[in-house]
Amino acid sequence: MLLIEGLHKAYGDIKALDGCSFSVQPGRMLGFLGPNGAGKTTTMRAVFGLLTPDAGSVSWQGKPIGPDERLRFGYMPETRGLYPKMKAADQLTYLGTLHGLSSSDARESAGKWLERLGLGDRTTDQVEKLSHGNQQRVQLAAALVHDPELLVLDEPFSGLDPLGVETMAEVLRERAARGAAVLFSSHQLDLVEDLCEDVAIIHRGKIVKSGSVVEIKDSSPVRHLEIELTNPDARLLERIDGVIRAERDGARHRLLIRSDVDVRGVLGDALASGSIRRFVYTSPSLSEIFLDTVA
Amino acid sequence: MRKISGIGGMRLVAMRELRERGRSKAFIISSVVTLVLVAAALVVPQLLGGEAVTHQIGIVGEDNEPIVEAAQDLAIAEAEEGDEPELYETVRYTRLDEAERALSAGEVDLVLIDGATVLQERTGFSGNGLVDTVQRAAGSVRLQRLVEENGQAAADVIEILSSSPLEVVSLDGEDPEGDIRPVIAYAGLLLMYIAILSYGSWTLTGVTEEKNNRVVEVLLATLRPWQLLGGKVLGIGLLGVGQFVLTIGFAFILVNMTDALDIPRLPIDGLLFLILWFILGFSVYSVSYAAAGSLASRPEDAQSAAFPMTMLAVAGFFVSINALDDPTSMLARVTSFVPFTAPFVVPIRQSLDGIGAVEHVATAIVAIFSIVLLVRLSARIYAGGLLRFGRRVKLKEAWRSAEL
Repeated sequence: MLLIEGLHKAYGDIKALDGCSFSVQPGRMLGFLGPNGAGKTTTMRAVFGLLTPDAGSVSWQGKPIGPDERLRFGYMPETRGLYPKMKAADQLTYLGTLHGLSSSDARESAGKWLERLGLGDRTTDQVEKLSHGNQQRVQLAAALVHDPELLVLDEPFSGLDPLGVETMAEVLRERAARGAAVLFSSHQLDLVEDLCEDVAIIHRGKIVKSGSVVEIKDSSPVRHLEIELTNPDARLLERIDGVIRAERDGARHRLLIRSDVDVRGVLGDALASGSIRRFVYTSPSLSEIFLDTVA
Repeated sequence: MRKISGIGGMRLVAMRELRERGRSKAFIISSVVTLVLVAAALVVPQLLGGEAVTHQIGIVGEDNEPIVEAAQDLAIAEAEEGDEPELYETVRYTRLDEAERALSAGEVDLVLIDGATVLQERTGFSGNGLVDTVQRAAGSVRLQRLVEENGQAAADVIEILSSSPLEVVSLDGEDPEGDIRPVIAYAGLLLMYIAILSYGSWTLTGVTEEKNNRVVEVLLATLRPWQLLGGKVLGIGLLGVGQFVLTIGFAFILVNMTDALDIPRLPIDGLLFLILWFILGFSVYSVSYAAAGSLASRPEDAQSAAFPMTMLAVAGFFVSINALDDPTSMLARVTSFVPFTAPFVVPIRQSLDGIGAVEHVATAIVAIFSIVLLVRLSARIYAGGLLRFGRRVKLKEAWRSAEL
């Protein structure tokens, strides 16, 4: 488990991190959310010792993170970077050996990942000769070549086409299924909701919400209720107590209600009225929760 | 998965530098060009000099032939063993203006008039060797006539005049390389200056490039800055020393095989000291250049960040030229203990016997300690500079913010 506890980091008067704490479990994927400048990159850099926090600690499997632990981590920084003139396979092999693989194992793994990411025929191309999307694939392979136990990816989906997003998502799911702890930041909240078991929302250097996606959604104080009635004059809706906001589109009503509203009772009434065509009761989306939290 | 030792990580970085740069076009071309230039500088004069030269002497009037014959005798007597002697041929003109025309047309090299006047095309900046030979020939003709006219007395005078000059020996015994040593030292110095600056700039741009294309963040996620710094300096250094030794060794073999430069042998100790000081000098500059490179995010900024170091190298170069004239001067002594100038000054002083063994060892120890210190200073600046992108990082800022 990656445990981040009470990280503080200030640059002059600016507090980049102000007591940031959360954890990432092996075999699970955590979406790290936050507005620009909230402290996501700073946190990730602290995991790799790229900066020293003013206070707080980062540990892996109960031990403080040192050079030996980092050999088992994979990192994809926000600003992508590879040697432009080095051949794709050579580059991955080099990075593999830096993580402790023998050069033959590293070469084999580099070939495997390039093949897997659809670059099997580009292994001897210099990285600068590849398209932006393909460079991004090599960058992902660079984080994966040594089969890491912890994957930390800073905005892995930004700049990818839908096909690229699908490949990336598939690879991350597979890594998590094989027991890796996966932490990635993203602004694509629907994707995070779809992909991640856990989320942590950071705002002004502090974690303001964290936990499983299901729990967070369930703990929201509001719910969506969408009802479509055949008889527009039914007075059903007026009897619901706890409506925060109501919109009407013809026969369709969209309500935002408190989570403690007895929705079974509403459904019973609706069925009894005999005029119901549609009844949808949902938790708010991650996107709404996020906006609510950081607004 | 194995653990990686500190040195192991540095070795991996060095190997990558060796592999990627060693097979780059720029390196292969620069190596070949250097070898071709060395070969050209050493062999071409030899080839040109090997051919026998024939001088055409225009003559007008009387009494010229004995002088030309004497010049021919001198040429035969002075020719180096194995070389063809220079030949003298005469072309007779009845009128002076014909001879003048032939001289300006380049048909004859000079014109001798009545055994008394030498006419040359123009007065050159440096002395004219041919005129000198003709002068000496004329002198010997006159002496010969004196002997013929005055008998024994004149012969005695000639005997005295032509007896061997004083024998010259120096305190350190026979020194057949004496005259050529400053030339070798100077050539070595020049090569070293060029090598240190060019390999140093590889380190400089290499570091800035890694920062510029942001690969540095991926690398530093597993490597510590000193491993990256050390590996880079070591890798480029090995490549540089390899190219340097190849060039010097090639020159050494060429000189000893072809007898170019006309020296009995190249001093091997001087060669080894040159290589030692090249390694020390390269380390000093490369480590400092790496620190400078880490402050800049763009290649354009790198040169200006490295400017102070480049100026030190230029200063070292000029001091060492001064040391060629006076290897024991105060300036030479002091700069032998400054790590940035010592690599240029000490080999020059060594080649001219201007430095004692104790002083030499002391300068090397100072240089080695300075390198250790510089590695620590540079690693800190490097660590502070590497992950600060955008504008050029100030030295103080990098020093303070060293995180790793």
